[in-house]
Amino acid sequence: MSEEERRILQLVIQGGDARCAAMEAIEAAREGKFARAEVLLEQSGQTLALAHSAQTDMLQEELGREQGSVTLLMVHAQDHLMSAITVRDLAREIVELYRREERAR
Amino acid sequence: MKIRLFCVAGMSTSLLVNRMREAAARRGEDVDIRAYAESDMEKCLDGVDVALLGPQSRLALKKARTLCEPRRIPVAVIPVAIYSEMDGEKALDFARESLANIRGGKTNE
Repeated sequence: MSEEERRILQLVIQGGDARCAAMEAIEAAREGKFARAEVLLEQSGQTLALAHSAQTDMLQEELGREQGSVTLLMVHAQDHLMSAITVRDLAREIVELYRREERAR
Repeated sequence: MKIRLFCVAGMSTSLLVNRMREAAARRGEDVDIRAYAESDMEKCLDGVDVALLGPQSRLALKKARTLCEPRRIPVAVIPVAIYSEMDGEKALDFARESLANIRGGKTNE
């Protein structure tokens, strides 16, 4: 496997990991475990930051080349990453809603 | 042996499928391996010996268990170490171990 493919796969794995952690945060909040939800959201954010910075490096390297190659695998990895970011952002809001609901009781 | 891999879109697992097929061919084993999207799992379990999930799909494990356990199909999440290296040999071994575990009465975690 090329170094390029290895880095792209890392994006897929980190994106998936961050999405899973965000969804698990929602699940924790639904069960009233807000401290756990916060830890999971934090984990999700940290994983996304790693993936995002790797992606930025890759984009900058591509700009430095005369002709960049676009692979379906890279498109797919970015799809994972972007959807993970969306899920994490919404998860924050949903956890907050569960918290308000708990306080209102 | 019929192995099915599942991930969000069935795309990155299809890379691992190729590696596993190559590994099986090297070993002279007759293995039927394919990748599908996790949303298609229910339709893809006929006669399957082992179901494996990509590590990015670990959330789907609960649902996968409810589909696989009544069919006595072992289901497990592929370890990140195997997945990130796209190691066909180790993935094939992992599939066999998962199958051996359920036959031996152990559950997969």
